[in-house]
Amino acid sequence: MDWLFLAEVSLAGIGAGGLYALTGLAFVLIYKATRVVNLAIGEILMLGGYVFFGFAAGLALPTWLAILLTLAVAGLFGGVVERLLIRPMLGESPISVFMLTIGLGSILVGVVELLWGANPLQLPDYMPNTPLFIGEAYVSAKVATAFAVAAVTVVAFLLLFRFWRGGVALRATAGDQAAAYSMGIDVPRVFSLAWVIACITAAASGMLVGAIGGISPTMGVFGLSVLVVVIVGGLDSVLGAMVAGLFIGLLEALTGAFLGGEFKMLATFTLLVAVLVVRPYGLFGTHEIERL
Amino acid sequence: MTFKLSRRTVLAALVAAGLAAGSLAPQARAADDIVLGGSIPLTGVFAFAGEGIHAGIQDWVKMVNEQGGIDGRMLRYVPEDTAYKVDASVAAFNKITGQNAVNLYYADSTAFSKTINPELERNGKILMAGASFATELNDPEKFPLQFIAGPDYTEMFGILLEYVSKEKPGAKVAFVHSDTEFGRDPIASSTERAKTLGLEVVETIVTPPGSVDVSTEVLKLRRARPDYTIFHGYVLAPIPEFINQAKQMGMETKFMGTFWSMDNGIVMKMGEAADGFMGVMPYRYYYDDSEKAPMLEKIRQMRPEYQSTAYLQGMLTAMLMTEAVKRTLADGKELTGPNLKASLNSLKDFDTGGIIGVPVSIPGNSIPVGRIYQADMKQQKMVPVSDWIRLDKAGG
Repeated sequence: MDWLFLAEVSLAGIGAGGLYALTGLAFVLIYKATRVVNLAIGEILMLGGYVFFGFAAGLALPTWLAILLTLAVAGLFGGVVERLLIRPMLGESPISVFMLTIGLGSILVGVVELLWGANPLQLPDYMPNTPLFIGEAYVSAKVATAFAVAAVTVVAFLLLFRFWRGGVALRATAGDQAAAYSMGIDVPRVFSLAWVIACITAAASGMLVGAIGGISPTMGVFGLSVLVVVIVGGLDSVLGAMVAGLFIGLLEALTGAFLGGEFKMLATFTLLVAVLVVRPYGLFGTHEIERL
Repeated sequence: MTFKLSRRTVLAALVAAGLAAGSLAPQARAADDIVLGGSIPLTGVFAFAGEGIHAGIQDWVKMVNEQGGIDGRMLRYVPEDTAYKVDASVAAFNKITGQNAVNLYYADSTAFSKTINPELERNGKILMAGASFATELNDPEKFPLQFIAGPDYTEMFGILLEYVSKEKPGAKVAFVHSDTEFGRDPIASSTERAKTLGLEVVETIVTPPGSVDVSTEVLKLRRARPDYTIFHGYVLAPIPEFINQAKQMGMETKFMGTFWSMDNGIVMKMGEAADGFMGVMPYRYYYDDSEKAPMLEKIRQMRPEYQSTAYLQGMLTAMLMTEAVKRTLADGKELTGPNLKASLNSLKDFDTGGIIGVPVSIPGNSIPVGRIYQADMKQQKMVPVSDWIRLDKAGG
């Protein structure tokens, strides 16, 4: 057994898992607050990558400014989408809203193709590129950075939900909308807030994914693969997204290294089926989750 | 009677107006036009290539018609966007062949080329080629009315391996491919081919489609320590990150690619780390003026900005199709699929105007010719590092 190789593969897996967790968070936030499975998360992630590209490469702004502007644009986008598209759908069947988000995803792909073309692009290098060694084990600097950002964000969210008034309001709304209303919580504002934060998270994830794998109008597929992660973790659990993200990242890396890349998806989906059989609401999800 | 303008009537009026405009829009068409239909992926995952292919075919059609058409008959291009989806592509084929007497057809994918093949044979009037270089299509028995305007994927690997075996006899080679039909295409046959050339395939790495991080795969590659690593089944991602990480680990393997990851615009996006990236290309690049190439000069006149290799592929495909029509008409034969294909197969040492650097023949379904190019990041260009390699002459 080559322990160094095992360590390196595991680190790579956990690093990739961080990205899964971060993107998963965007799904969870919206589902938790509004009971909407937002299938456009992948495309919002893509939009984040492209908007960053526009600021950093197109307008040649400094990286920190481009990042801030991208996050701001994403937040604004989330707010506008919630207000114009999602709120009028309140009370409609979940399937209708679900379909609406699929449509939104298609529109975003079209808009990006119109603005930036269909060619795959590379983001300007903004992440550290010097190799990192933990002990003797090599870790890609980009993946390590992405993992650090993801870890900080997920922990920040866990704390916010516990201690911040807005976070508590969101949890209260998730628990029981009518009760939250009667306690004076502005539920529509909570919905807006959830969309704004989720879109910011997705855009952050888009910038990280784009820095590693490049950007293209089809990179939204990444969002779809993360859907598996949040279903395993539980659609309404932040902790679930984190644990399942890291676990699936690790599982894929080990499968890829010891069985071959063609078995990665098989392993992930076997896990999904197993979890659904034993705990249909996911590892950390609330029991009454409605399945679509 | 009052006429109330409801939302529904407005919609109906708009649809009617659209239909009317649609029926007026088609360009002047004559009954004896030569029709080149096309399932073109102008949107979707393959749109980056579709746009180039579309422009290449359009320019060729324009050139032919400006010179009076083929034997006085105009060449008419009828494209439909397919979003690179097989069902959309089949629908486009049915629509285009239903409305026009189609003689030539451009296919957007391997899956479509295979799906439509029985219909193509039943129809019997069409010669088809397209964006696929799939090895499977390079079989005149199974696909008698189709051809590939270049080497198939196995032949591309053949050309690369031929080069490697000359540069470094007995070299260790690794294959990295996507887990798609496109990615798997040449792997098994090329592993055999490498053996016969005295090369050792030390690792074959598969990446699932859409995977972002490739750290695990690079770690596997480092263990295998290949002298050459050939990518196949990708356009851009994950090649740049792969090369980046491999260089960070101090690996000295030389990276290579096949047609769809070899466009100059694509390779230059890979960044500094991709300096020295090599690969096989059956065509000359847009900017290549090292030798006389009248077609490339004409393209540069028509479009002063860089045109992709997909553009050249579209143009060359249309050029070969046109030549098949020309020869069939010159022989006084009817324009049927088998006649067109027989005319295409009669091409011997055909001059492509310099798009391919050597005269080409198409005895079967492909043109097994290519050249190794290498990325020179200082010049921002792919530059040739080998002569033209012909597998048909080498007996491969």
